[in-house]
Amino acid sequence: MNANEPPKALRGVGNFIDDRFHLAKMGEKNLRKVFPTHWSFMLGEIALYSFIILLLSGVFLTLWFDPSMEHVTYDGSYQRLNGVGMSRAYESTLHLTFDVRGGLFMRQVHHWAALIFVASLVFHMLRVFFTGAFRKPREINWVIGATIFMLATIEGLFGYSLPDDLPSGMGLRILQGVMMSLPLVGTYVSMFLFGGEFPGDLIIPRLYSLHILVIPAVLLALIAAHFMILWHQKHTQYPGAKETEKKNIGAPMFPAFAVKAGGFFFFTFAIIAGLAAFVQINPIHLFGPFSPTSISAGTQPDWYMGFLEGSLRIFPNWFDVNIAGYAIPTAVLVPGLGIMGLVFTGPMVWPFIEAWITGDRRPHNVADRPRNAPTRTGLGVAAITFYGVLWLAGSNDILSHTFSISLYTTTYIFRVAVLVGPVLAFIIAKRICLGLQRRDRETLEHGYESGTIQQLPSGEFIEVHKESSENMVHVLQSKKPLPRIDVDATDENGVESPAKRSIMGRLREGLAHWYTKDNVSFDGVRPNSGHHLHHDGFEDAAEEHDRSETVRTP
Amino acid sequence: MKWITARRRHPLAGYVVVILALVVFGVGYTFLAPTADRAEAQQDQAAPERSDGKIDLAQGKEIFAQSCASCHGKNAEGKRVGDTDVPSLIGVGGAAVDFQVSTGRMPSMNADKQMPRKYPAFTQDEIDDLVAFYEDEFGDDGPKVPEEDLVPATAPERNQFPSDHEGEKAFEKAKEEYDEAFASYTSNSDTEAGMKLYLTNCAHCHSWSGAGGALTDGRWAPELHEASPRQLYEAMLTGPGAMPVFNDATVSAEDKQNIIAYVNDLQEEPDAGGPFALGRVGQVAEGFIGWTIGISLIVACAIWITAKQRSHD
Repeated sequence: MNANEPPKALRGVGNFIDDRFHLAKMGEKNLRKVFPTHWSFMLGEIALYSFIILLLSGVFLTLWFDPSMEHVTYDGSYQRLNGVGMSRAYESTLHLTFDVRGGLFMRQVHHWAALIFVASLVFHMLRVFFTGAFRKPREINWVIGATIFMLATIEGLFGYSLPDDLPSGMGLRILQGVMMSLPLVGTYVSMFLFGGEFPGDLIIPRLYSLHILVIPAVLLALIAAHFMILWHQKHTQYPGAKETEKKNIGAPMFPAFAVKAGGFFFFTFAIIAGLAAFVQINPIHLFGPFSPTSISAGTQPDWYMGFLEGSLRIFPNWFDVNIAGYAIPTAVLVPGLGIMGLVFTGPMVWPFIEAWITGDRRPHNVADRPRNAPTRTGLGVAAITFYGVLWLAGSNDILSHTFSISLYTTTYIFRVAVLVGPVLAFIIAKRICLGLQRRDRETLEHGYESGTIQQLPSGEFIEVHKESSENMVHVLQSKKPLPRIDVDATDENGVESPAKRSIMGRLREGLAHWYTKDNVSFDGVRPNSGHHLHHDGFEDAAEEHDRSETVRTP
Repeated sequence: MKWITARRRHPLAGYVVVILALVVFGVGYTFLAPTADRAEAQQDQAAPERSDGKIDLAQGKEIFAQSCASCHGKNAEGKRVGDTDVPSLIGVGGAAVDFQVSTGRMPSMNADKQMPRKYPAFTQDEIDDLVAFYEDEFGDDGPKVPEEDLVPATAPERNQFPSDHEGEKAFEKAKEEYDEAFASYTSNSDTEAGMKLYLTNCAHCHSWSGAGGALTDGRWAPELHEASPRQLYEAMLTGPGAMPVFNDATVSAEDKQNIIAYVNDLQEEPDAGGPFALGRVGQVAEGFIGWTIGISLIVACAIWITAKQRSHD
């Protein structure tokens, strides 16, 4: 018998199935599917794995948690709260924590996994953004991803509100406040969600069915769609000698990538379980049950809602107005709903905005190096700064207390920083990108600095440059001229195109100019050719060359 | 040497040097720098031991003249020091004096700043003398220090007693007495009432865990981790700093007892969720750990496993 042939019994079963479902052909294709190996392509997997952990630990929690707002008196093994009146939801959470074996651990796993889940989504989105992997043909998958991020945040907020401890109720109160700020419909929306006045006795059962059924089901469907589209469109990859728009280079799905991904699941699980075992999170038994009369210093939302807390904290009330006796609380409306809308929908529309500005409708399978799209990278860093300042502002009382800074001072610092910070970040990030581009051009033309110093016969010391490898040359040459629409073209009769004359046309032309004007041209640079060129003169000539490339003749 | 030579050009070598330097300086500093505790302990040993329980007005007068009068004035009338109006002490009551001095806030180093809790500069006997002198000299119409058989004082500490075997015994006895007094004081307290009162009146500023928090205008609410029952009682009676006064008409003595029992519960409560409680600061600390430790470690794993794969390609 041939050593490579499977045993006869297995072969028989295999052939039986294969004759009917043609599994071998499908398996052959999909098991050999290639995944590029770079650590930044594993970020989405962290999200997937923490989501699986969330589903499993969440199922465990539902076995004991009772989403009821019925009033009960605690009588259990946590002595300190014996005789205290509370809701059934809070009581069952205490029971789960102190009387169910492993209950507290599972609660902490669930909570830490939630924090890691949203964090990995953000991390993953940033990777996709900065490498331009959202461009055609992947816009739809990017929109799905952004929707997952939005739903995950809301899912987290609802989960935070379920145990009916003190921060739960305070979070809901803020949610209700933001709803009430809606002109005309605010009070109706609030009454509709809470089934009456805040807090009522319906909100927890309602949030429960959303938290454990509706949103997870939608999330699961979106994640499945995200995955299927990824599978169909294939992964993006970083530029290299063999990596092209048409050909993916990486490890095959089976066995290499499957083993690695399987192992990575256990890394993720181990770190979440380690945190859950050693670091206390959300100690609801210390918070006490929620009562509308109670409030506590130092209670914040989980981190992914921190930016909203921050925007509410620093937005001034100077613009609140009354119209015919009806208050328009802009100090809640703008930071609460406006900023939330910006953070959630901004990413969703960006691929289409960028394609409109640049007019780039080509499919892209090779990822951009962030430095080669300086304006996009600058915008991304500006967005991170904006979000980060709001996020920090959400913890201003903790920062003030921990670092002994006056609370008012922190508010003023953040008010200025949220406006100035993104602008500075944009300028700095873009300058760094352009600097890196110049260095790339230098490396491409002169080779890399070898660290070897040589003395010439004339006595001059020089550093020997060595030729870059073939792969490095490909990476450096992956920088393409930025795509640029040509709206000011004239037709054969010398008439301007109609697109240019409209307001949108002019806006688009201005934006396109802004988006592409700063860029170091690699035109005419031959790899490893420029050893003996004099540096300064060369730089100047190159600058001239850039300008003639981008400034159009009127 | 060869070992170092082989590795000093490693990409991570720079980071290793920086981390080592930080560790050396950090550890060195903790050993060399005089900590507040150590400095206070030295000062404390110099103070004469006296435990006959008798009040010595002359001693109180001396302490007042040396440590209080320079800012508050010889007649406790208050005066202007630098840019700050130091308040008059007339009518603040013995409870306020006892609270400020026994929590180490007074004598203050800087009249412009809110004082943190420190190890007290005087022994409790000396503070008793000072309070007696204060009430004798400036009137006793303000709130008084609660009687020891009503509210247990401050838990005894080991370094208040001689370091020999006798001292050990005396300390244990005092501790036992204090624990008994405290147990009987809180025996009929109502947890639910205490919790509700705490969450309604105290947690706004001192936070759910007693960790304190920021207040307006550069002030802050101190943490309650070390506050003794008597100090809690006095703070409610006198309303130090930005704190409102909760006199016996607002919050009855019984309710104060419930609050004190609840705070004591919080102080003694172990952390069920693991050895790292993140200072019971709450969600901000959790998010910080989630990003700095959680996601960073997972990403480090991703870098590691993909790097391994690469070298085999």
